Amino acid sequence: MLEKFTGFLAHLVSGNNPLWLYYPLCAVVAVVYKATKFDRPGKILWSALHFFVTVGLGMLALGLVLYVLSILL
Amino acid sequence: MTPRDRAAPSPVTALVLGWAIPGAGHAYQGRWGKAALFFILIVGLLVAGFALGRGTNVQRGEWWFAAQVGAGGPAIALVPLSKHFERQGPIDWADPYREMGTLYTAIAGFLNILVMMDAYNKLAHPHRPSAEEAA
Repeated sequence: MLEKFTGFLAHLVSGNNPLWLYYPLCAVVAVVYKATKFDRPGKILWSALHFFVTVGLGMLALGLVLYVLSILL
Repeated sequence: MTPRDRAAPSPVTALVLGWAIPGAGHAYQGRWGKAALFFILIVGLLVAGFALGRGTNVQRGEWWFAAQVGAGGPAIALVPLSKHFERQGPIDWADPYREMGTLYTAIAGFLNILVMMDAYNKLAHPHRPSAEEAA
């Protein structure tokens, strides 16, 4: 189980994993979405950062849950 | 209708301009900073997705195009280019980078629809408080 998990993490951080491309996409969505809601640049930046971190961690958590389910089922 | 009313910017024009060129709806209102930000991010996302898809993933016959066309002029301009690159060789439909690129282009279309609605709303409901003012 631990071996499989370290294999999963190694694949996740490897340079040729296209899943990393979700993060720039998430950053662009965060900035555009928050720029439609706010006008001050500082407010846009901070709220976009908050959005990015929340969604980024959420995607990571979801990935881990799906990975654990794929081992168990 | 007074001459002043006639000169007032139209929300529908902002919507149409925003579709034709991402950010143009905001430029029409004189909000140049946001216009530049939206143009760079949306067109950048569209072009990045197109490049990831080896230039073959913006095609009129595909379902994805319904989302991609939200990015307006730039997305339509990529259609003949996509046809050109498709003729260069077979498409690898299982390529994960191509799939990711297609997703990028589709999200660019959805984001531009959001930006168009923002440009429209600012003119159609000028007295409605923004999220910033309401906070």
